[in-house]
Amino acid sequence: MKKGVLSLISLALSVTMLAGCGGKPASEPTGGAGSDAPKANFKVGMVTDAGTIDDKSFNQGTYEGIVKANKDFNMEYKYLKPAGTTEADYSKEIGNLYDAGFKFIVTPGFKFETAVHKAQEKYKDAKFVLIDGSPRPNPDADPELKENTVAIYFAEQESGFLAGVATALHVKDGQAGFIGGMKIPPVQKFNWGFQQGVKYANESLGTKVTINKENVVYQGTFDDVAAGSQLAAQMYDRGVNVIFAAAGGVGVGAINEAKTRVQNGNDVWVVGVDVDQYQDGVYEGDKSVILTSAVKKIDQAAYDMIKAETEGKFPGGQTITLDAKNDGVGLPAENPNLSEDILKQVDEVFNKIKAGEITVAAEQGDLIE
Amino acid sequence: MNNSIKSLLAVLFGLLAGALLMAVTGHNPVEGYKFLIQGGLKSPERIGNTLATATPLILTGLSVAFAFRTGLFNIGAAGQMLFGGFCATAVGLSVDLPRALLLTLMVLAGFIGGALWALIPGILKARYNVHEVVSTIMMNWTAYWTVYYVIPGYFKGESLETESRQLPPEAMLHASWLSDMFQGSYINLGFFIGVVAVLVVAFLINKTTLGYELKAVGFNRHSAEYAGIAVKRSIVLSMFIAGGIAGLAGVAQYAGNASSLQIGVLPSQGFDGIAVALLGANAPLGVMVSALFFGVLYSGRGFMNAMTEIPPEIADSIIAIIIYFAATSILIERLFRKWKVRKSRAPHSAANKKQGEREHVDNA
Repeated sequence: MKKGVLSLISLALSVTMLAGCGGKPASEPTGGAGSDAPKANFKVGMVTDAGTIDDKSFNQGTYEGIVKANKDFNMEYKYLKPAGTTEADYSKEIGNLYDAGFKFIVTPGFKFETAVHKAQEKYKDAKFVLIDGSPRPNPDADPELKENTVAIYFAEQESGFLAGVATALHVKDGQAGFIGGMKIPPVQKFNWGFQQGVKYANESLGTKVTINKENVVYQGTFDDVAAGSQLAAQMYDRGVNVIFAAAGGVGVGAINEAKTRVQNGNDVWVVGVDVDQYQDGVYEGDKSVILTSAVKKIDQAAYDMIKAETEGKFPGGQTITLDAKNDGVGLPAENPNLSEDILKQVDEVFNKIKAGEITVAAEQGDLIE
Repeated sequence: MNNSIKSLLAVLFGLLAGALLMAVTGHNPVEGYKFLIQGGLKSPERIGNTLATATPLILTGLSVAFAFRTGLFNIGAAGQMLFGGFCATAVGLSVDLPRALLLTLMVLAGFIGGALWALIPGILKARYNVHEVVSTIMMNWTAYWTVYYVIPGYFKGESLETESRQLPPEAMLHASWLSDMFQGSYINLGFFIGVVAVLVVAFLINKTTLGYELKAVGFNRHSAEYAGIAVKRSIVLSMFIAGGIAGLAGVAQYAGNASSLQIGVLPSQGFDGIAVALLGANAPLGVMVSALFFGVLYSGRGFMNAMTEIPPEIADSIIAIIIYFAATSILIERLFRKWKVRKSRAPHSAANKKQGEREHVDNA
């Protein structure tokens, strides 16, 4: 009897699995994007970091940049998802891409640092773009960049700063909180920038928004959705109005919690991260719990590097930092939840950062963690 | 019906279903499998990587199979592996000894760490009849959170909050002659730990009194007790050894395939070990072969994805389907018997009807 049920379940599962796959378009959009542009003579490969390609964050941003580049330059592209997050897992997929002729390889995330360090030596005729990191022999060593590798960093603190200013201006009088994923430099810089932004608004723009120590939390992973919901619930219960979630899947949990609360009539918000997360926060029609997002233009970074390669101007051996000055960070183009007035003020702040009138520290200083 | 035939059938059905899946989604199955196998075995480096990928699976599979022989379902291989790996990493990071001695000590620490982690469910089962499935799963999470707490607290890397420090080269299982032989693969001495463990366990199960006793307990606890076998002691000992083997998987994984211990990850090899054991029919050599097969699938998958348009999820689905068939091999066996019964009944149906019915009842 029990076995019958079990086999029924497995049958049902395999059928749904089949159905799910059948629903997908028969082929992934590699190459033929239907544009008339001449085909680029190189193939772009990408290895995903922890999480899936549709993580609404790092992997997705990078991939969207590649897809966008494909529209303009019509090159073949492909992503591989490693089985785990060790250097061996990453190296294996880089090797797979290389053996299959993908010799322009984009890797999003600092965890690729050691794998790319080995790969740039091993595959001298391949080119590597490492986003958010720099190749190193081991995680604690100094970076060693070869001629075939570009390291790209972002000024996350500036993006966080703008989000902090926007948050403070919107809330005016209340509390803000922060949920981080792993405690790693890019996430920390978002946090510190956010705190400085709120502080700046309090001092110069007349708001009264506080961030309490217990409302700044690093969950420790980028994929524990349930934990994200719990943390967000605790913070909202403590009277927090807006949570800045720089935490991948954990942030998705926070967004879910905010949706539930808003539907129950509470006035709570989430600030998204990395990409414009407005769509992820939609709970009804086109209303979203995402106040704004602290954006890193990851897609732009990937796109620019591919573009440079097609023009023969690949900046190999260089470390590039994308910040406000080159429009590499900022808020999304559209912010339906922010008023005209707030947007104007945020824009002024943005220009001040651009002009160097405001400098946002990338260190903790006397900020919370 | 022979066990190896059952396993081969499970693999065959799994591969057929995978082919069907590829065909349904508009891909060429022959090409897919060609690249899948090439990806695992095309070059010495790839063979080395396949062996390295298979190493933790050999050990966790062996752990599950060993406990199963005593009638225990060790779902906690993941936690035992993690804790064993943690103990080995802790030793590797804090003890300064000549390499040979240090590695021996780490392997010992890994074995004991994993063994202790399984000892608790073993004692609970023997003394209080707490079901080992429940307690080993709970021990998984205890290991997960213990490591989660202790690594950042005491063995934190300089720049990363979520990993231990890198093991120094002399505390790792890498051997340059081995990676040279496999042209830069990350294969390491862990593979030999796996092979030795398989041989030792095969000897233990098949040739020793202890093995006989453990198997007897597995076949029928009450008759074993009646025959004068110390059932409780056997249960505890079986869990202890099974946990130790899983702990060795942790050594191979965290000091061989990887160079540090990441927190917040319960090693997937622990659960894959159950599938490996099922497919290997709980026999040491079977486990070895099936782990190598999984190794080919896991390390060939990426190459298949790179060379074709087959989505990576399909390779995972194939693996999952094979597990289904391995796990439900009892169904295959039943079908086979039914078919046999029908066949033998056909010529003299009336005369044999009664017997056929009786066999039917036996099957049910």
